Amino acid sequence: MKRSDCFDFLAPLIKEQLVIGSLSGQRVEWGDRCQHEGNLLVASMGAALGVGIGLAMVLPRRKVIVLESDGSMLLSLYNLPTLGNINPANLVVFVFDNEVYSGTRISEPSATAGKTDLAAVARGCGIEQSTTVRDLESFKREAAKALAENVLRFVVCKVDQTTGHRQIQRPNEDLWEHKYRFVRYLERTEGKEIFKGRG
Amino acid sequence: MEQELAARLVGGLKEAGISFVSYLPETRLSQIVPLLREDPSFMVAAVANESEAVSIAAGASLGGRPAAVYMEGSGIYVASYNLLVLGRRLGVPMLLLAAYYGSILDKRNSFLYAMPGIHMIPILQSLDIQHEVLDKGDSLEDKIKGAVKMMHAIKQPVALLFTGEFTA
Repeated sequence: MKRSDCFDFLAPLIKEQLVIGSLSGQRVEWGDRCQHEGNLLVASMGAALGVGIGLAMVLPRRKVIVLESDGSMLLSLYNLPTLGNINPANLVVFVFDNEVYSGTRISEPSATAGKTDLAAVARGCGIEQSTTVRDLESFKREAAKALAENVLRFVVCKVDQTTGHRQIQRPNEDLWEHKYRFVRYLERTEGKEIFKGRG
Repeated sequence: MEQELAARLVGGLKEAGISFVSYLPETRLSQIVPLLREDPSFMVAAVANESEAVSIAAGASLGGRPAAVYMEGSGIYVASYNLLVLGRRLGVPMLLLAAYYGSILDKRNSFLYAMPGIHMIPILQSLDIQHEVLDKGDSLEDKIKGAVKMMHAIKQPVALLFTGEFTA
């Protein structure tokens, strides 16, 4: 299964949802396929899920989708006990797990290439709807359920190591601009002021 | 910390508009936790690691709830990467409430705490995070209000470091 095929399926389904992404090729690939103003691609490993938890808590009527990678998830496993305890029904986490640190250019295997089963770790942290998908049809089924139902889901998507994102031109929108775009979208659609203070 | 000071600290947060607190409790300021949990104007998130306290607070802040992170001073070290990439690089306002353990006015200071205490302000300075040391309850509410105003003005984390009376 290719991550880009998963994104091709998911991107047209994004309407009012918020999509929080981490680092690596998935940031470039998702940003290329989906220019949704509700994207917040934090461009950092180990931070996206936490940001998604905070957003899901304070905006309980919004579906929040977090796009993680195996490397980023392994860097922030401490999020899983917290996520299990808070149990935000409006949050879904997709971990695109290619079992390598592909950005290193040496394809160093991550722990998920060995004995680590992230879905099992999540289940052990109390996230009941945790599963692993290995083919596109299974991904489509889980993604459709995740978007339709109001229940916390943690979906590990086993994907091939691909380099297609390296051919995609990277955005020139810097992170402050990206953040303002996201916040102004939320202010407009939630009908409230987020950034306090006026000049 | 005396209960009255804890109540004033929580009252000051509320008055300043803070409505979300992520936290990993410690020994010196922990009396604020039950007060935060009992007050429905605060949404709270108990976490396992100060890094996620920062990332969760960042999400809450971007979602429209002015957020604080309560932690031991050691949490500044643990969370420094997320403070850099979310607080500074992305520019997300949040108030850091850190027990300034190991500082000269820390009433429980010992060889266990002094070293991390000594290096805490240099860490904040290296991250260019605005900070204020509070050792007495005088003007506590004004200092919290000023710090919150600052975090909104610069859209960055601002830290209040509690020592002295707060560590008794």
